[in-house]
Amino acid sequence: MNDDKAPRSATYDHPLFDTLERFPGLDLATTTADKLLNWGARNSMWIFPMATSCCGIEFMASAASRVDFDRMGSFTRATPRQSDVMVVAGTITVKMAPRVKRLWDQMPEPKWCVAMGSCAISGDFYRDIYSVIPGIDTVIPVDVYVPGCPPNPEALMAGLMRLQELIALKKAGLKPTPEDRPEAPKMINPRIRRLGDPGRLPAIDAAQVAQALSLDLTEPPDLLAAFAAAKAAAEAEAAAEAQGAGAQPAKSEGEA
Amino acid sequence: MNDPQATLAEFMAERFGLAVDPWPEGGPLVPLDQHLVLAQALKDAGYTLYGYCVASHWPEEVPKKGDPIPEHYEVATGLRRPGKGTHMAMWRVWVDMGQGVPSLADVFPGADFQEREQFDLVGVVFDGHPDPRRLMLPEEWVGHPLRKDYAIDTGHLPWR
Repeated sequence: MNDDKAPRSATYDHPLFDTLERFPGLDLATTTADKLLNWGARNSMWIFPMATSCCGIEFMASAASRVDFDRMGSFTRATPRQSDVMVVAGTITVKMAPRVKRLWDQMPEPKWCVAMGSCAISGDFYRDIYSVIPGIDTVIPVDVYVPGCPPNPEALMAGLMRLQELIALKKAGLKPTPEDRPEAPKMINPRIRRLGDPGRLPAIDAAQVAQALSLDLTEPPDLLAAFAAAKAAAEAEAAAEAQGAGAQPAKSEGEA
Repeated sequence: MNDPQATLAEFMAERFGLAVDPWPEGGPLVPLDQHLVLAQALKDAGYTLYGYCVASHWPEEVPKKGDPIPEHYEVATGLRRPGKGTHMAMWRVWVDMGQGVPSLADVFPGADFQEREQFDLVGVVFDGHPDPRRLMLPEEWVGHPLRKDYAIDTGHLPWR
């Protein structure tokens, strides 16, 4: 919302009138199409629920009468083609991830994504399992993260209101100010690295990015070759480092 | 064997000569070539409900005393007899590496998905299975994740 403009009067205390320029004495109001579309976009966020586990139950509770996101114009639509916001609520597995990406690609622009719950944010305690992707943001871009396991309906509502603010800011060409996160330095590094984490093989990062960008579901990528190449590159690098540092050559050969 | 009072132990001891007294943990170890025969015989005896099929992978083990135990699979199968006085029949088979287990999908149609799941996750091959594909994991998955030699940090590009 335009915080610099106070409402003109109590009579017109409605969100729409913040975007309007009224002329006194005339039954006429002007605004820019951008402002009107912005107002419409953030007050009719139709939600595509990508609910795969228990967060979906809390999502249903958010749609029920106590915390009712219908009152901000958000309805659930069980089709991506009529939706603006994808709420990913639950663990996404490797088998599910291509489907999620395909559904995301089918949503018309403009579109936003809310990662609801720890599993959708980072994989949580399923993160190290062989078949779970470590966070939905490795597949699709995420606008708002709603933490919790599962987050309660009020938290999801707060996340959706935060998304409304983001939409207003982005449409106005502004950047959101990041929130203070005093707990961030306390975060521990997970044992299994993911894209962008320090300590991960750069070759695997490059292969992941390349394959994510040129995703062809009809021809699955040759995973063994990709891993062999990444491993060989890492070993060659380690061997070069060992030789350069004059470390024990017999031990490095034995490890290789 | 239509007598509901007859116990499974008697049946297995009489028909197949298995040592079932005391009842071994997880069921008696049946020779692999008797697997299909036993299942068919139990079905004829009233055990018509297919319960479970669980495969496990055992890596090579070298104990301090005795012979080393080679790498192998064990496949446990359980059948139920529905109705009054329900009994559970269970047995195991020892499967060496590279060996296949006779599929029970022709005897029990419910074994189809169970055996596909065990093949998918553990890697046991079921001979004569009508649809030997993966069930849980994607088709292009490499490896069988419930084997003991499957590394937990095995990636699956481009997703993780």
